[in-house]
Amino acid sequence: MSDSALVPPSTVVLVSGGSRGLGLAIVTDLLDAGLTVAAFARSVTPELEKLADAHPDRVHVGAVDVTDLAAAQGFVRAVEARFGPIDGLVNNAAVGQDSMHTHTATADIARIVETNLTAPLQLTRLVIRRMLGQGRRGRVVNVTSICAQRGFPGLVAYSATKGGMDAATRSLARELGGRMLVNAVAPGFFASEMSAVLGSTQLDQIVRRTPTGHLTEPAEVVPVVRMLLREHTNINGQVIVVDGAASI
Amino acid sequence: MNELSRAQIRDLMAQVVRNQGRVLPDDDSADLREIGFRSLDFSELALRVEDETGEELNFDAPGLRRIATVGDVLDFLAELQRQ
Repeated sequence: MSDSALVPPSTVVLVSGGSRGLGLAIVTDLLDAGLTVAAFARSVTPELEKLADAHPDRVHVGAVDVTDLAAAQGFVRAVEARFGPIDGLVNNAAVGQDSMHTHTATADIARIVETNLTAPLQLTRLVIRRMLGQGRRGRVVNVTSICAQRGFPGLVAYSATKGGMDAATRSLARELGGRMLVNAVAPGFFASEMSAVLGSTQLDQIVRRTPTGHLTEPAEVVPVVRMLLREHTNINGQVIVVDGAASI
Repeated sequence: MNELSRAQIRDLMAQVVRNQGRVLPDDDSADLREIGFRSLDFSELALRVEDETGEELNFDAPGLRRIATVGDVLDFLAELQRQ
């Protein structure tokens, strides 16, 4: 069943994994756009703390492991008590991988799946239950990866989780019948962080095959996330790749 | 744990190379690229060591990327058994 009323732009956005890298860039960008932002990560970095100090009336931060559902629930309740209902969620928290599947410890595979797939599904369930229960509309943006669509050695479990989130994005968009917009942004490899797990030969190959001639930067991804949270576009259930056409 | 010696690992490595119709050089400084020993060959060797010792050998890729010679392979696997 669908609902034809427009989903309003998000005003209070929860960002998981918001303490560094792309997550921190998303938090910074949303604050610059005037939104209220709640961000958690396993540890609150000085950079995130600085943002909280600079915008005490619009930022709520906390040290929460995304796999700790009880802690995430507590964080959501604290955010709602302070800012009112959350109407936007960015699932960004994830752990990387850099090991051949054959030689990845079973515990590490379980940890990757729990952090990158189970935890964001649980967090999404938690947030949308509260939105639906309050009769509200909202938006969800899942940060996935080009790894979900293209094969890369050393990233088997990671790719599986990102592919899972892409699939969940589509099904959730259908399931929520237009009361919420659910999309994913799939960046290519960043020059920093995740790319540190690739060898220089692999990175050079990716750059050579990229028509724009450079690896994706977080600053190139955040406008897409903001657009999905804020603009009236009718984009729903989609995965938007931001990789300079490297994967085309 | 039944730890393999460096010489025993070398024997297993020679088997892996021999199965591909090549000969493992005696010189530890031999370049892996020159003998066509690639990452999957390394994986096969590690799994053979696992079979002998009964212990899983798990490792990340960055360590593998530093491996360039036959001696590096032997050192890596010998060290990995002790971790």
